[in-house]
Amino acid sequence: MTTLAVRLPLPAGLRTVRGATGITLVGAVVLAGLLAPVLTGTDPTAQSSLALAGPSGNHLFGTDDLGRDLFSRVLYGIRTDLLIGLTAVPAGALSGCALALLSGLSRWADLAVQRVFDLLLAFPGLILALAVTAVLGPGRWPVIIVIALAEIPGFGRQLRAGILVQREREYALAARVGGASRLRVLLRHVLPNAVDPLIVQSAVALSLAVFIEGAMSFLGVGVRPPEPSLGGILSQSTAYLATHPAFAAAPLIAVTALVLGLTLIAEALNEGIRR
Amino acid sequence: MNALSRRSLLRGSAAAAGLFALAACRSAADSGPTAASASPRRGGTLTVATGIDFTPSLLFAQSANTLVQRLVFNTLTRYDDQLKPQPELATSWQLGADGKSITFELRDDVLFHNGRKFTADDVVFAVKNLQNPARSAQLRSTAAAVTDFRKNGDHELTLLLTHPVSNLFDLFEFMIITDSATVEDAVAGGRLIGTGPFRFGERKPGASISLTRNEKYWNPGRPYLDGVEIRIIPQADSLLSSLKTGQSQLSYNVQGKDVATLGADPRFRIKPYDTGAGAYYIGVNVTAEHVGDKRVRQAIAWAVDRDRLVQQALGGYGLASSAPWPKSSPAYSDANATHYRHDPDKARELLKQAGLGPITLPFAHSATPGDTAIAQILQYDLKQVGIETVLQPTDSPTMQKQLISQSMPALWTLSHGFAQLHPATLAVSAYPFNEARNSSHFSSPAYTDIVQRAWNRADSDSADAKALYQQITDTLLDEEFVIDLAIGGEIEVATAKVRGATLNKFNYLNLDDAYLTA
Amino acid sequence: MRTFLLKRLPSALLVLLAASFLIFLILRLIPGDPATSLAGPDAGPEAVAAVRARLGLDQPLPGQYLHWLGHLVTGNLGPSYAIGGQVADLIGEGLGNTVELALGAVVLVIALALPLGVLGATVRRGPVAAAVRALTTAVLAVPPFVTGVLLVLVFAVTLRLLPPGGHESILDQPDIGVQYLLLPAVCLALPSAAVLARYLGDGLERALAEDYVRTATALGVSRRRIVWLHALPNALPSAITVLGLQIGQLLGGAVLVEAIFAWPGLGQLAEQGVLRRDYPVVQDLLLLLVAVYVAVQLLTDLAYAWSDPRIRWE
Repeated sequence: MTTLAVRLPLPAGLRTVRGATGITLVGAVVLAGLLAPVLTGTDPTAQSSLALAGPSGNHLFGTDDLGRDLFSRVLYGIRTDLLIGLTAVPAGALSGCALALLSGLSRWADLAVQRVFDLLLAFPGLILALAVTAVLGPGRWPVIIVIALAEIPGFGRQLRAGILVQREREYALAARVGGASRLRVLLRHVLPNAVDPLIVQSAVALSLAVFIEGAMSFLGVGVRPPEPSLGGILSQSTAYLATHPAFAAAPLIAVTALVLGLTLIAEALNEGIRR
Repeated sequence: MNALSRRSLLRGSAAAAGLFALAACRSAADSGPTAASASPRRGGTLTVATGIDFTPSLLFAQSANTLVQRLVFNTLTRYDDQLKPQPELATSWQLGADGKSITFELRDDVLFHNGRKFTADDVVFAVKNLQNPARSAQLRSTAAAVTDFRKNGDHELTLLLTHPVSNLFDLFEFMIITDSATVEDAVAGGRLIGTGPFRFGERKPGASISLTRNEKYWNPGRPYLDGVEIRIIPQADSLLSSLKTGQSQLSYNVQGKDVATLGADPRFRIKPYDTGAGAYYIGVNVTAEHVGDKRVRQAIAWAVDRDRLVQQALGGYGLASSAPWPKSSPAYSDANATHYRHDPDKARELLKQAGLGPITLPFAHSATPGDTAIAQILQYDLKQVGIETVLQPTDSPTMQKQLISQSMPALWTLSHGFAQLHPATLAVSAYPFNEARNSSHFSSPAYTDIVQRAWNRADSDSADAKALYQQITDTLLDEEFVIDLAIGGEIEVATAKVRGATLNKFNYLNLDDAYLTA
Repeated sequence: MRTFLLKRLPSALLVLLAASFLIFLILRLIPGDPATSLAGPDAGPEAVAAVRARLGLDQPLPGQYLHWLGHLVTGNLGPSYAIGGQVADLIGEGLGNTVELALGAVVLVIALALPLGVLGATVRRGPVAAAVRALTTAVLAVPPFVTGVLLVLVFAVTLRLLPPGGHESILDQPDIGVQYLLLPAVCLALPSAAVLARYLGDGLERALAEDYVRTATALGVSRRRIVWLHALPNALPSAITVLGLQIGQLLGGAVLVEAIFAWPGLGQLAEQGVLRRDYPVVQDLLLLLVAVYVAVQLLTDLAYAWSDPRIRWE
C-alpha cells in the first residue's frame, strides 16, 4: 500500500480499440518516414519543369510548384518532423520536470518556478518564434528551441500538480516520518507515482510539435529551405488550395494521421491510468 | 440520458447561434465582382488592397507602398508611355541651352487641402526637402544637382544646376509637392496635406487608409470617385480572397503565380506593367571568396534557367532577361536581354577555367514565400553546375541593414527598381548599381566614367546617349556583379468594374481618371 | 482574499520586471536595426546615423532600458518608430480588436464545449458519443492555419456568406461587425473548444464514477439533476483552469488567425512591429500581453479558489 506504486496501466490502455488505432496510425506514418529512402528513389529537392502536376505513375502525389516530387517530399518531411519532435519534446519534458522537482524543494523555489512557467506561457509563442529565428537564423534548431520552450510549462505544471497530490498521500507522509529526506521522498516515492500523466502529456506534446512546426513554416520562419517538412509543404500548398487541391492532400493526410494517432494514444493511455 | 444530452447540446448551439443572430440583417459579404459596361461615371468608393502598410517616414522615398503619393499629392510633370514628360502642376518648361537650367511655368489655380495657394516657393521647398539626407530619397543625387532658384513672380521658377543631368524629369516624376508647414508632422505619422485629387482621411495603421474626394481639385470634373479605401492585407492568400470576393477591387500586390491562378476569370482585368519596378537579380559580393573572379559570376549567369524561373516563380508574368532594362527603356535590346541563356555546359567550362572544383556559397534571400521559391530554383540550377549554396532566409530589416552596411554574403537574391526610368538613374540612384557605393563592393574607374558621362548630359534619347547606355550595359554584362534574371514588374489586378487606374513610373497610383462602371 | 492578493501581487510584479528585461534584451539581440529599416531601402550612412540619433539609439543600452521604464512609469509611451502614430493609440486600437476577437472566441468555446463535454460524458457509447469524439479529435488534428484557409475558401470565396477578412468595429455597426468576427472567431475557438470539451467530458466522467453519485442515483435523484447539480460543479474547477490556460493560448494563436483574416489586432501589430524593428511598439505590446496573462492567471486562481472551497485563501 505504501511504496508499491509502480502499476502498469499503460499497455492495458493501449490494448483498447482506440489505442490500437492510434498506434497503427502513428506507426504507419513513422514507418513511412523511416523507410523514405527505401520507398522512393527520388531526391526530395530535385526540381523539374513539371510543376503542379496531379498524381500519376511517376509522381504518386503529384508535384509541387517547383516541380518537385511530392511523394518524396512528404516522406522526407515526416522524417524532419519526427526528428524535430523527438528532440524538442524530450528536451522540453526534461526541463519542465526538472523545474517541477525543483519547485517541490521549498516554498520559494515553488514560487519562482511557477512564475517562470507563467512567463513562458505569457509570451506569445509565435512572436517568440519570430524573435528566436531572427536571432539564430533559420533552420531546425530555432524550431526545436521554440517547441521545447513551449512544452516546458505543460510538463512542469502537470508534474507539479501530481507532486502536490502525491506528497500528501499516506505513503509519502509515512516515508517522511520515517526519516527520509525531502529530496529522497520526492525522487523515490512521489515521482514514480506522478509520472503517468507525463507519458500522456508526451503524446499531446508531440502533436503540438507538429503544429508549431507548421505555424512557423506558415510565418516563414520554419526549417531552412529546400529541406522538406510537413508544415512547410502544407503552408506552401495553401496558395493553391482552390486551384490545385491535390497539392495539399498528401501533407494534410500525413499531419492529420500523425496528430490523430497521437491523440488517440494519449486518450487510451488516459483511460488506462484511470482504470 | 440521451434525451437530456441532446437537449443540452441544442441549448448550447442555440446560445452560439443567438450570439451571431444579428448576422442575418445586412451582409458584409459583397455579391462579388460582376462584368459591366463602361462609360465614365461620378461617385463610388474604390477599395484598393495592398500587402504592405504605408510607412510615413518613407513618404519621400521609393518604398514598398507608394499608393498614396499621387492620390494626396501632385508632381510637376508626369511621363507618358514613351518617357516624354507631360504637364501636371507645371504647365510648360524650357530647358537652358547649356542644359544647366530649367524654367517652369506653374499652374496658378491650385490649392492645398488646407486652402493655401500653391506657389513657386512650394517647388523650392520640395527640391530642398529631397536634398535632405534624412528623407532617404533615391533621387537625392539628382536633386542635389540643383544649386539655386530664381523666382519670377509666384508662378514662374528657374532651377539652376551644377551640371546637366540626363534624368532631370525622373526627378519631377518622383518629387511630390507637399505643404511645407506640415511636412514634419506628415513623416511622423500625422495628416498628409497636398494638392492631389483626394484628401487624406483616417489612417488605421496595419488596417486601412481612407481618402475622400478633393472637391476643389484643379483638374475640373475630376476625380470621378467619391473616395478611396486602401486595405492592408499582409497575407498573400487573404489578399487574393479579398479580390475574389469583391471586398476589394484593385491591387498591385498580387504575385505573378497567384495571378496565374485567377486564370481566364472574366471577372478580372489583368494588366502587367511592362515598366516594372521589380527586376529580379542575384547580387554578388565581389570581395567574398571564389566570386571575386568574374568568370565565376558569368558562370552563375549561364547556369540559371530564367525561363523556368519566370514560369514557376512568377506565374509566367515576367520577361526573362540578363540585362536590367524593361522593353520600354531606351537601353533595351533583345541582344542584351538574351546575352546569357540557360547553358550549364558553358557555366561548367567557365568554372573550370577559373580553376574551381565544387564550391559552397552562402545565399541570402528574403523570407517571403515568393522569394523563397525563387531562391530554391536558383539553388537547384547552381547545384547542377557544381555550385552548392546554403540558403539564408532573412527578414527584410536584417537584409536592409546588410545591404546598407555592405555586409552581404557572397550571393543574394532580391529585386531592384529604377530600370524603368532614364538609364542614368539606375546607375546613380539604385543601390545595387550605384557606381560610387554598392552592396557588391564593385568599383571600377571605367564603370564610373561611363556612368558619369551618361548622367552629365542634357539629352537622354539621342544616338550618343544610347551608345553610352549600351556601354553601361556591356560593362554590367561583363562584370556581372548584379546578375539580372527577369523583369517582373507590377501587375494590376482589377475587377471588371474598375476603369482608368494607372501607375506612374515610381508606382504612384493615379486615380484622376478612374471610375467605377454602373 | 485580501491576503491572497497581497501574497500574489509582489511576485506578479517581479514577473513583469523580469519580462521587461527579457523583452528588451531579446529585441536588441535580433539582427537588423530600426534605423536602417526606417531610413529606407536606398539610404546612405548619414541618413541612417541621423535617424539613429533622433531615436536615441546611439545611447548605451542600460540608458535605453531605463528610458523605456521611465516611459512606462509615467504612462507616456511615446511615438512609434516605423508604423506611425503614438504607441498608446496603436496598442489601444489593436487591443480593442484582439479583445473583441478573443471574447467572441471565448463565447464560442464555452458555447461549444459545454454541451459537447456534457454529451460526451453522459452518452459514453453509441453513435452520438462516437460522433462527438470524432468531431473533437478531427478539429484537433487539422493545423489551425489550414482550418482558417479552408473556412475562407468555403464561407467567403465559394458560398459568399461572410467577408474573407478585415474588420469593422462591432460597437459601431453590430450587424456588419459580427460578420467580420465570425470566421476568425470560429477558427480561433475550434481547437480550444475541442480541448475544453475533452477536459470537461473526462472530469464529468470521473465525477459520475464517484460514490456519492451512486448514492444519489440509488436515492432516485434524476440523472439530469445529478449531472448539472452534482457532477458539473465538481468538474468545473479544473475546466476553469484549462479555460484560463486556453485564453492565454487564444491570445498567442491570434497571431496566426489575425494574419489569415487580416484582423488588425495585437498579433498583427506585434508581427509588423517585429518585422520593422519598431522597438517601442513591440516592447510595450509584449509587456502588456505578459501583464494580461498574469492578471488572467490571478483571476483564474481566484475563481478556482472560489469554486472549490477546499482550497484555502493562502
